[in-house]
Amino acid sequence: MKMVNDSHLEVKKYFSGTFGTHPYEVGWADEAIFFVMVEKIEGNPTLTAQVQLSQDGVHWADDGSTPSVFTGEGLHIVKVQPNFGNYIRLYVNIEGGKMFLNLHIVCKG
Amino acid sequence: MSVDEILLKSRFQPLERILAYDVFNTGFNGWMTLMPNFTEYPDFDVPATLVCKDQWPPVMLSSATYRYPGTHGAMSGTYSLKLSTRPVAAPYVEKPAEGSLGHAIKRLSFYRPENRFLQIECWFSYTAEQDVVDGGDRPQPGLHENSIRDFGMGFDVQEHGKRYFVGMRYLNAVDGKLTQKWQYVHSRDGVTDEEWAYGLKGDWCKKGVDPWWFGKRYPNGDHDGFMNLPDGGQKLIYNETDCKLNWQYMRLKIDTKLREYVEFQCQDKIWDMRGTKADARDGYDRIDNLINPLFWVGTDTNRRVFFYVDSVVVSQE
Repeated sequence: MKMVNDSHLEVKKYFSGTFGTHPYEVGWADEAIFFVMVEKIEGNPTLTAQVQLSQDGVHWADDGSTPSVFTGEGLHIVKVQPNFGNYIRLYVNIEGGKMFLNLHIVCKG
Repeated sequence: MSVDEILLKSRFQPLERILAYDVFNTGFNGWMTLMPNFTEYPDFDVPATLVCKDQWPPVMLSSATYRYPGTHGAMSGTYSLKLSTRPVAAPYVEKPAEGSLGHAIKRLSFYRPENRFLQIECWFSYTAEQDVVDGGDRPQPGLHENSIRDFGMGFDVQEHGKRYFVGMRYLNAVDGKLTQKWQYVHSRDGVTDEEWAYGLKGDWCKKGVDPWWFGKRYPNGDHDGFMNLPDGGQKLIYNETDCKLNWQYMRLKIDTKLREYVEFQCQDKIWDMRGTKADARDGYDRIDNLINPLFWVGTDTNRRVFFYVDSVVVSQE
């Protein structure tokens, strides 16, 4: 039977500008999805999210995928493309306002 | 006898009845991040407090992979349970900075009336993030041992209407100065609930509950929630670089009938703690017979630190 796990990365906090999520180890997993729940917004924010990979949890590079772009409240999904190695994070840029986020990662493997 | 049974009997000293034997190479086994209570009107807000508790990072299954050597792995396979902090710390005497702690908890309960003794034992390791080489007058640049403030393990217990926290804390460093000694969970006599919660009147928390983020701290490493273990100095293994892990053993046994500590062991050193009382408070609603084993780690500087658990046994007798 496969294992599945959901972990919070950010909860109940306003964000604007750029930030990277906490370095997260997913070497055991075959698939990973970031769930970005926008609970509230202020202004007219646009969120751009780029999956990044790391060998050591310290140095990061884009994973080669097209960045995801969201606006508005509700649940948004970023499916991580295959072959993601061990350390992953979501690098986020929010412009035009603030977003109140509940950001999780779900892994299965 | 299976390999698992051999490892259990060789590496651990369980009491008669084993409640949990979790080898993290097989998964999380129900250990998860400790989070605040999302209960308040109107939108699952958290109760009023002066300590932000929703920034503790998630626990994860770690391969302990580093910049130069690559994957360290665990003692029992590839993966261990990793607790981590964010790269942020407040001075020791201040309340913990948002994200400066990491916690893992498993939620269990009493199940046999004759079970008096309760024990937790684990194989663990710890390190700091190998991010940048510290300069200045450090005796060994690049060795971040004193970035780790503390780590520990223990129980949140409620039985027969009394709640108490028992646990051991390794106070590794205070504002960059190595202290390397053990303290046990016990709140200082005379402290009020309000003082315990940094002066916030009406915080839901009571004195003695959640000492890792409540309780006044003092410049010499003293703490209103942790007392110094007599003869508690111990230099644990922190190998020559931040990317070398040595797996080490610790064990805590308590008496839930007398509500006392019984014995603590780390590596091959054993402390007799009989007669050391747990400070029991009136129980909280709806949680009688609760047994929550837990681990935690804290950073002393603006650098992530990590605490790894290879395997843990919770047992009763």
